[in-house]
Amino acid sequence: MTQLTFTEEIVLLALDDKSGAQLHLPVTALGYGLAGAVLADLAVAGKIDTDPERVTVLDPSPTGDPLLDPWLALISAETTAHPVAYWLSVFSDRRTEIEQPALDRLMTRGILRREDKKILWVIGLRRYPTVDGHERTEVRTRLGQLILGEDLPDPRDAILISLLHGCRLTDHIFDGPEFAAREQRLATLAKMDLVGREVATATTEAIVALTAAMNASVPHM
Amino acid sequence: MEITDSVLHGTPLLALRGRLDGTAAPAVEEKVTILLASGATRLVFDCSGIEYASSAGLRVFLSAAKKLKTAGGRCGFAALTPPLREIFNISGFLDVLEIHDTVESAAA
Repeated sequence: MTQLTFTEEIVLLALDDKSGAQLHLPVTALGYGLAGAVLADLAVAGKIDTDPERVTVLDPSPTGDPLLDPWLALISAETTAHPVAYWLSVFSDRRTEIEQPALDRLMTRGILRREDKKILWVIGLRRYPTVDGHERTEVRTRLGQLILGEDLPDPRDAILISLLHGCRLTDHIFDGPEFAAREQRLATLAKMDLVGREVATATTEAIVALTAAMNASVPHM
Repeated sequence: MEITDSVLHGTPLLALRGRLDGTAAPAVEEKVTILLASGATRLVFDCSGIEYASSAGLRVFLSAAKKLKTAGGRCGFAALTPPLREIFNISGFLDVLEIHDTVESAAA
């Protein structure tokens, strides 16, 4: 099996193992995580580069991966370079266009299956239970060992940990006292990729904005 | 980017000058791959001429350090310029990579 893209990894790890339901994440967190994953996939494919100021197109030719090429075309079509945060916002607004093709591919790979149910015969409920849990177990074990140990991550694992931390998925995937004691180590690893850091910033800002809006809507006594 | 390879006190040394970005990174990566293939287990990057490093540049550094460590060796980063030190600090690289003030101390 070819290696999963970051986008597929985030989609897969955002689902509950048993039920196939999406894990409960803060508002817009998964959208930013998926947007960051697309940027990370394009970066490791050598198509774009990033720094704190901008996303730069290195090679606008298609990757051949339909999960990535529409987004590369979008970035390449811009006449001015924008920062990572800009593309996180644009991509996350179109989250389903990232998520659904990734879910479809995970089903094609035989990792997930689709399950449609009705609640009270009316409300539709779609879930994606696991068929083959090997990939999910493998990535969790590998990243868990990195967090609990002192080994250097390779760039790919550093990016994935940073993305998972940025969209708060690490809270679900690496829970338990052994991981709670490694909070500082996780924070260090999560800092290692620029896109992951930007995902974390965007997620935090969205939570703060939502909290402020909710507080403002509460009538003062 | 200008890449100069030499040996100091028996340690392979790669001196980088200019911008370490997505355009330059593959050439640096290729140098590292050649050194590893030759059996090198020690490598020092002379960073005194690096004006800028993008994410692609940082990935090359991390990859080199990881490969050297996996091979049972070490990878040092010497004489960081202020812009590179700032990027290393933001990215947490100062905490996980082997940093030296001078090339001499890195190769010792």
